[in-house]
Amino acid sequence: MNITEIKSKRAGDSYYKINHPSGLTVYVYPKEGYNSAYAIFGTRYGSINTCFSVDNGETITVPDGIAHYLEHKLFESEDGDAFVRYAKTGANANAYTSFEKTCYLFSCTDKFDESLEILLDFVQDPYFTAQTVAKEQGIIGQEIKMYDDSPDWRVMFNMLEAMYKNHPVRIDIAGTVESIAQITAEKLYDIYNVFYNLNNMVLCVSGNVTVEQVLKTADKMLKPSEKHKIHNYFEDEPYEICEPYVEQSFPVSMPIFNFGFKEKADSLLDEKQTAQTEILLSMIASQTSTLYRNLMDANLINSSFSYELFEGPGYCSVIFGGESRAPKQAAEMIKQYISKIKKEGLDKNDFETAKKAVYGDIVSSLNSVDSIANTIADYHFNGNELFSYIDAIAETTFDDVCKRLNEMLDVNNCTLSVVKQLENEE
Amino acid sequence: MDSIKRKEIANGVFFNSIKDSRFKTMRISANALVPLSADAASSNALLFGVLSRSCKAYPDFTILSKKLSSLYGADLTVSVRKAGDCQALTITASGLDDRYAFEGESVARELSLLLCSVIFEPNVTDGAFDEGEVEQERRQLLDVIDSEFNDKRIYANDRLIKNMCANEVFGLNRYGTAEKIKEATVQSLYSVWQNLLKNAKFEIMFIGDSASEKAEEVFKNAFSKVQREPYKLSTQVVRSAETVKHISEEMELSQSKLVMGFRTDIAVPDKEVNAARLMCAILGGTANSKLFCNVREKQSLCYYCAARYDKLKGIMTIDSGVEGNNINKAEKAILKEVEDMKNGKITDFEMDSTKLAVVNSFRATNDTVSGIESWYANQLFEGDFKSIEQVSAEINEVTKEQIIKAAQRLTLDTVYVLKNK
Repeated sequence: MNITEIKSKRAGDSYYKINHPSGLTVYVYPKEGYNSAYAIFGTRYGSINTCFSVDNGETITVPDGIAHYLEHKLFESEDGDAFVRYAKTGANANAYTSFEKTCYLFSCTDKFDESLEILLDFVQDPYFTAQTVAKEQGIIGQEIKMYDDSPDWRVMFNMLEAMYKNHPVRIDIAGTVESIAQITAEKLYDIYNVFYNLNNMVLCVSGNVTVEQVLKTADKMLKPSEKHKIHNYFEDEPYEICEPYVEQSFPVSMPIFNFGFKEKADSLLDEKQTAQTEILLSMIASQTSTLYRNLMDANLINSSFSYELFEGPGYCSVIFGGESRAPKQAAEMIKQYISKIKKEGLDKNDFETAKKAVYGDIVSSLNSVDSIANTIADYHFNGNELFSYIDAIAETTFDDVCKRLNEMLDVNNCTLSVVKQLENEE
Repeated sequence: MDSIKRKEIANGVFFNSIKDSRFKTMRISANALVPLSADAASSNALLFGVLSRSCKAYPDFTILSKKLSSLYGADLTVSVRKAGDCQALTITASGLDDRYAFEGESVARELSLLLCSVIFEPNVTDGAFDEGEVEQERRQLLDVIDSEFNDKRIYANDRLIKNMCANEVFGLNRYGTAEKIKEATVQSLYSVWQNLLKNAKFEIMFIGDSASEKAEEVFKNAFSKVQREPYKLSTQVVRSAETVKHISEEMELSQSKLVMGFRTDIAVPDKEVNAARLMCAILGGTANSKLFCNVREKQSLCYYCAARYDKLKGIMTIDSGVEGNNINKAEKAILKEVEDMKNGKITDFEMDSTKLAVVNSFRATNDTVSGIESWYANQLFEGDFKSIEQVSAEINEVTKEQIIKAAQRLTLDTVYVLKNK
């Protein structure tokens, strides 16, 4: 077994990467003096993987929302529910499905070995029947409806639909009431056997644990997986957005907007590019920025304003969003400001301040066992490494960021999505 | 973690410190506790927002934000919450521990000084706050109140409490009302500030690896210049409900919300608080709770169905998201689980697993800076601080009989329905 220690002088921490003979990659990040431990077991399989082939076999297309459905159903096994088993260890367990991954997790302060055993066991032990699959339609149907009522969720998906022509990132993670009606036990087994192969998965543990402790349970529980080649198909996505503007009416007290810049997404960003982008976005739109100040002074945004780099396989965008009484004017001001800095250049002092802020944020996140394990899992799936990212921030230069600005944020390739008030409530 | 050290540094002003070297960050917060009132709640909330935006040394929002960013992305945040019939107004400064700064700067010292200056040396000229800063903050606060309408789960819970506690100050919104926020002036805020310094009970919390003595000294000096007359704080506990109120609203939504409010007849400082807490957790506080297993999993009636206990007010609420046609069915199903608790239908498995889950969640709070802070902040009305281990031991001693007795004291007060059109 290959165990590598990864150290960071800057963060004063270290963690271990293990290539387990079963095919699974395992990371262990011990935190001395902590009461709790957190484990996350994930697969590189999310809502966007709806069309794929294995070992160059036939192309398979599955219903929207099936990855999320599988996540719900995996908790059940022939002799009961994983939550009931966790109840005996006191662990707090959960799971989630995102665009490109599905993860199962728990945190605990006692009986870690037993809880890890439960996690590794139920995720490797699918059990679906026509009856158990049918039962979930009601619960997930309610979950979909809850999201239909969430203006924050709708404003984002409306934007993604208007921005992406073909890429499945435009489709709601949970699917629709109609698409999930097509899900059967057989289809769940099919995708399970493709994507829940240990070579396609990762286990990250952080907290009051040791490498030996994790490996002992891993050795006992992991069932070796034969490596196979998964190919995910995404239709060609044009560089251009589909629609520059989209809106929906909702019972909200104030309009909400998402304003997204579609970026090139030929390959995932590496640590350096990510560091440069985060510093750049902090310079442009954080609370210290001139843009933020101008938007506030013009009463176009409030403290709910935020920005993010939104990236995954085949998609990348920068999203500004929040509540605004005049979303179109806010978007226009953002566009004009970006055009202006592209022409006139960035400020070096702003760069120094933003670099410290981005660095402080990531080092602070190493306080929390949850965010450590989650971040390492994300970085693993993107082919990046956490401590290299911290170093990349510290080593980023002003010129790097100026160059980065010229490669992105095309003011002719952005979409504004607005959720506005219902007519009768205005 | 060392145990908490508590000192009264002025009349009604307490400095609490916890030394802990495990974290990459430090945190210092000033909590002002005042009686919740319709007259003052809005101005208090507005004042705290204004204080956190700027001060004499950093006289506008952008300048102060730049200062914080250059301290490695430090934060200065405000929170306003209800704690029983009190309004708790908090300003928190948090940032990187000194060990991780590029050039060995002391972030902790700078943040302690900054927190003290926003409270004691605000952006004030001739008895008035800065007009521009106040207007910006007024707009922010009005927007925050408006946006509470957007999340329908939060909205439905607020509506329940408003109706259930219509005759108690607890029925007020934590931010007061939009009207009162609009009425406040730059001069009136000045006297609100003076009154708060004089009359609020202050609890200062310091958590980190660096020495807290300096911060303690700074606050002690600042408060020594104030003539203190701290409020007496109390909370009205309505012990039981006589009749059940039903309130219903309609809105264009996909999913309906059902929220039920109960009087528990148990509140701080009653000795049965831990029994009530466990009773609520068995009913609807974990993924093995009666509501989760039976109403959600077995009957597929809702995506969420959870119970929450407010130990200061002695109120338990159960909220759920359900299909419009299933509201009556869900209400009956929930009440049946409550009846089962009263009739003693609690298994040993439910007892043991809930205790484990509750104790686990307590012990996990010890691993975050904010978790440690809220652990103690949640006990500010209980006379003395108990450690996580102490309360965990108390929870483990609660018997099934005590839980059944606690359940039998429940009375349903109000049912609120937000129905989809």
